[in-house]
Amino acid sequence: MGKKTKLEAIDLDAYYGDFHALKSINIAMEEKAVTAFIGPSGCGKSTFLRTFNRMNDYIEGFRTEGQILIDNKDIYQKDVRVDELRKNVGMVFQKPNPFPKSIYENVVYGLKIQGVKKKSVLEEAAETSLRRAALWDEVKDKLHKSALALSGGQQQRLCIARALAISPSVLLMDEPASALDPISTAKVEELIYELKNDYTIVIVTHNMQQAGRVSDYTAFFYMGELVEFNKTKTMFTSPKDERTQNYITGRFG
Amino acid sequence: MPHIDVELERLKTKLLEMWDLVEYQLQSGREAMLNADQELAKLIVKRDKKVNQYDLKIDRMCENFFALFTPVAVDLRMVLAVLKINANLERIGDTAEGIARFVQKLDSPVDSQLLELTQVLPMYEEALAMFAECRVAFISNDPKLAKALIKRDKMLNKIYRKSDAVATKFMQENPNKISEALAILSIIKKLERVGDQVTNIAEEIIFYREAKFVKHKQDKKKKKD
Ligand SMILES: Nc1ncnc2c1ncn2[C@@H]1O[C@H](COP(=O)(O)OP(=O)(O)OP(=O)(O)O)[C@@H](O)[C@H]1O
Ligand SMILES: [Mg+2]
Repeated sequence: MGKKTKLEAIDLDAYYGDFHALKSINIAMEEKAVTAFIGPSGCGKSTFLRTFNRMNDYIEGFRTEGQILIDNKDIYQKDVRVDELRKNVGMVFQKPNPFPKSIYENVVYGLKIQGVKKKSVLEEAAETSLRRAALWDEVKDKLHKSALALSGGQQQRLCIARALAISPSVLLMDEPASALDPISTAKVEELIYELKNDYTIVIVTHNMQQAGRVSDYTAFFYMGELVEFNKTKTMFTSPKDERTQNYITGRFG
Repeated sequence: MPHIDVELERLKTKLLEMWDLVEYQLQSGREAMLNADQELAKLIVKRDKKVNQYDLKIDRMCENFFALFTPVAVDLRMVLAVLKINANLERIGDTAEGIARFVQKLDSPVDSQLLELTQVLPMYEEALAMFAECRVAFISNDPKLAKALIKRDKMLNKIYRKSDAVATKFMQENPNKISEALAILSIIKKLERVGDQVTNIAEEIIFYREAKFVKHKQDKKKKKD
């Protein structure tokens, strides 16, 4: 209540060529809260998530109608610089995708691209980000070893550290723990819980319990539509729409 | 049927078995009271152990269900309702046992005038009817029926409230039947509890079906009264 809206979609439609992937989506997501996107495979979760950092721009034939606002500013306006936007909106993917470089190089990659050269600045940013991603203690003695030698769970936290290093205010996560074992998953979830003090987080997940554990709000998508959006507690105790109920109780189709 | 529904059905079936047993206990209590039947009273007391076994069994089934299925939404409410209904059935079982223990204090069939004055029989009939109706509401997922039950509880309360005065008067007039009157008075108190417990169960059925807490609304009303 009275909380600030950070991310917003207004009458958003999205198309891959002729295919109508998102159908007049309206949603307002709260600042410094975690919002989970759930819904069956192919319902448009990833498509919608990617509209917030314009990752879909690369896809041939993709176009949107309506508005996507971050801090009340339409990010599809002509004057918006996509590189600036991506500094503000970090993204973590389903499969950990570290670059074949050292741990350190992975974390400072974004900063270097931005032109930061000073070693002390980069080192400090690397440490801060790795600490924030709860990975520092595990890697501090091997920062210059290859990132590919880390475990899957460590790699995923490294990717989170990499996303954090450019100091975004929004973090988009597309199934960030789906390839991880329960312990690594718990670590990532713990991390999300910590991070929401400072970041606005949107997480796509197929794991209902995970959505319940980490998110404040949950949005249920079905066939390109936003069916229901509410406090996570309400969604998992008394959803209003029968489709939501069927989905979260595993009785779909 | 999805796996989770099979488990839920098993849980419901077990609860209904318990429900039948408790109903049987209550009915037997009525028989025992009417005839001052010591043998039957003893049997009721003994059978309460079986009710307790059901209680434990259902608790354990619910625990397993939580652990293995992590239910949400309507499933979650269903299991929560089963847990609470189970607890209430167990208490109604205790109440039936309590009635049987008071019957054990009667050494001859109850004075017909005392029965008449206290209205313990119609009260017993009503409690039994409410209990049976509640079972129907649960099986047929009928929150309307459950709501009607909550209203019916008033009749039991009315008889209960009058019972002290009625019994006192009877005892003054029949000083040789004081212990008998006290036993009936205690049974009336027990029946009033059954009404409350049926009300609790009815509230759980409404919660399960409509995702609404009825309890707190009622509390507010009570405060206004
Ligand atoms: N590059 C693309 N070209 C054409 N259609 C696409 C493209 N990407 C996605 N789609 C279609 O858009 C719809 C939504 O896809 P999207 O990836 O957003 O679903 P999702 O909800 O993230 O599913 P999942 O849970 O499987 O990841 C799907 O029907 C998909 O086939
Ligand atoms: Mg996806």
